[in-house]
Amino acid sequence: MSTTTTTSARPEAGSRGPGAAGPSPRTRRRMAWRRIQALKGASLTFPFLAGFSLFVVVPVIMALRESVFARRSSGGLGFGAQTVSFVGLDNFADGFQDPVFWGGMLRVFVYAIVVVPVTQALSLACALLLDAARRRTAARFRVVLLLPYMVPGVIAAMIWLFQYSPAVGPLSAFFRLFGVEANFYSGELVWVSIGNMALWGALGFNMLILYGALQSVPHEIFEAARLDGAGELRIAMSIKVPFVRASLVLTSLLSIIGTLQLFNEPLLFRAVTPETITKDFTPAMMIYNQAFQVGNLNYATALSVVLALVVGIASAIIYRFTNRQEA
Amino acid sequence: MRINRTRWVATGVAAATTMSLAACSSDGSAAEPTGPDEPAGPVSIEIWGWNAETGEQLVDAFNAAQDDVEAEYVLQASNVATQTNFRNAFEAGEDVPCLVQGFAPLTTMVVNGWAQDITDSVTPSESIYSEGALAAAKVNDRYYGLPSGSDGQFLIYNTATFDKAGLDVPTTWEEYVEVGKKFKKDGVDIANLAGEDPSTLMNLAQQAGAEWFAIDGDRWVVNFLDEGTLKAADIMQQLVDNDLVSNETYQDKPALYAYFDSGNMASTTTQWWSLGGYQTDMKKSGGDWAATAIPQFEDATEPVTPGRTTPAFVPVGCDDPDAVMAYVDWLASDEGIEAGRNKESGAVGFPTQIPDPSAYADDVVPPDFFVDDAEAADVIVDAQAHVIGKFELGPDYDAWFPELQDQWGKAVAGEQTFADALAAVQGFVASDLDDKGISYTLGS
Repeated sequence: MSTTTTTSARPEAGSRGPGAAGPSPRTRRRMAWRRIQALKGASLTFPFLAGFSLFVVVPVIMALRESVFARRSSGGLGFGAQTVSFVGLDNFADGFQDPVFWGGMLRVFVYAIVVVPVTQALSLACALLLDAARRRTAARFRVVLLLPYMVPGVIAAMIWLFQYSPAVGPLSAFFRLFGVEANFYSGELVWVSIGNMALWGALGFNMLILYGALQSVPHEIFEAARLDGAGELRIAMSIKVPFVRASLVLTSLLSIIGTLQLFNEPLLFRAVTPETITKDFTPAMMIYNQAFQVGNLNYATALSVVLALVVGIASAIIYRFTNRQEA
Repeated sequence: MRINRTRWVATGVAAATTMSLAACSSDGSAAEPTGPDEPAGPVSIEIWGWNAETGEQLVDAFNAAQDDVEAEYVLQASNVATQTNFRNAFEAGEDVPCLVQGFAPLTTMVVNGWAQDITDSVTPSESIYSEGALAAAKVNDRYYGLPSGSDGQFLIYNTATFDKAGLDVPTTWEEYVEVGKKFKKDGVDIANLAGEDPSTLMNLAQQAGAEWFAIDGDRWVVNFLDEGTLKAADIMQQLVDNDLVSNETYQDKPALYAYFDSGNMASTTTQWWSLGGYQTDMKKSGGDWAATAIPQFEDATEPVTPGRTTPAFVPVGCDDPDAVMAYVDWLASDEGIEAGRNKESGAVGFPTQIPDPSAYADDVVPPDFFVDDAEAADVIVDAQAHVIGKFELGPDYDAWFPELQDQWGKAVAGEQTFADALAAVQGFVASDLDDKGISYTLGS
């Protein structure tokens, strides 16, 4: 918001300045006043900019710097100091050729193809249902659906670990009632287990954005549709969904970004099915492993940059694709 | 923060002089010790660890017991937090503590340049410690760690389950497999192998005399496929191939304990500090368990007990390793051990670093868990007497351990053999050492 204030104020102050020949003292005072106003407006962005610089820009610069170096022992037993040498883009070259890293990338891509549409469809369905419900009822459900999003990832992981437990959890017992032996810890079901966990985490947030978008659809259109004999389902599919397309694109993009960075859930399931979830199962897990276990921070940062590039490119492609459809 | 920089050497005689006020400075820039005639104040050392139960109470008792060293305990949230905070302090070169609880294997500390060679400080105290504790504190024959006891492993078994099946407790690993096959007929597992935890294989390999990493001059000799390791792998293979074990995860503690408690698991290898948890969470089978020596390999010439430790170390940059050693020696004294008595549970930590901890064995046997508490105490002492202590994990343990977990998980799930798993880990180690520029030869 404050950014808008800044950008709109600046051109105005600028256009009056150099364009006018010999500005009068009054105009000058007004210019000064406008400049002060502009600065005031801009100052509102400072807390954000400070945080953004400190926690995003600086780490990115540091990562870029780290990624062009390598640390090695100079032979022997490896005791004592390591030598740091500039290796240019070698770490990136290794990263682009690393089959383990790209194997993980492919894995999360396939996972995203399944999980993202399912998450979007369910979020949209929940938002449409809430929109159809009375306001008071909607408010209650909204909070309930948002609860899983509020629970920190690690806590959620522990809760699900218990839910999935074949021995003491309720889910396996529930399925047993129908004669189905469902072991959510097993390698066969682990994708379902991870997807379900991630789904509940994302559902509430996406639903909230879509619900917000639905609220802004002009109600006259619904009335007109009803007069034309359209049922609620028809209204939902032909009016509401097209209206929230922009928000759907946004939530899809966020979901894709989150999915490609999949980390918490598989890390948890590594303990219960290590034969399936290896240490390099997803790109983020591999980066973590390289940085904090193998101890190759330089390679880890190079891989992080590659992952960021892939996420950026994927987002750009999807954004362009969906925009073109709209046009 | 007050740290080790106080350079006043405690000399005993000088400490009694009237000029002690002048020696009270804790400023790092204070004068260097100038000789035995100069006044001396206490040397300050900072200790980092995550012992929330007795860390501070031990330090308080130590400070009260003597005047030469003033210790301060800085409680860390966990093993990982200690590692993170230490790395930060070390990188910054400020406020580096003088004693850090071992958060990783000792060689890792040396390779990273964190642990200093404290041979001169440890050597005069050698007689206080057990051979295993001293062995564990060495890398390449020099003391980089503080003497640290390894917790000797022993076997606990459910007497009710054994009685029901009419089976004798195995004394060798070969018998263990055979007994497991008999149990299988009744649907009972002889043991649990958690899919994420390869420590059982490491323990067995250590017991069979394996040496995964050894130092030969200025090269590492790496061998994950030596005779001992393959012997251990063979036992594991038989247990898995014949489906004699369960694979309950440690992550799901309620399920794990419920299963341990069910009578469907006949035995498990363990160590003294696990007993409290068993006693608390295994109420149904409590009172049915008995302890016995860990099975040996049939061709073993003498009984040995597996057990490893991650010794505490003195970081590079600490000027007073002697003061640290004074504290560590005091911890091994009767007074120090007693000072560590937990005020809530009333138990002391089992002093595994001293040659004969038998006087404290009763303290670590929880009530109402064993059929015979005195026998259990004897088993614990005996396990400690035969503990190997040293098992070199090489210069890149943090890198290869997750790989071992991956490979172990696949072997436990029956997707590959244990020998293949170990070969894969060896390949990984070779490639990682190449990347790191560390010299090695692969053993054969």
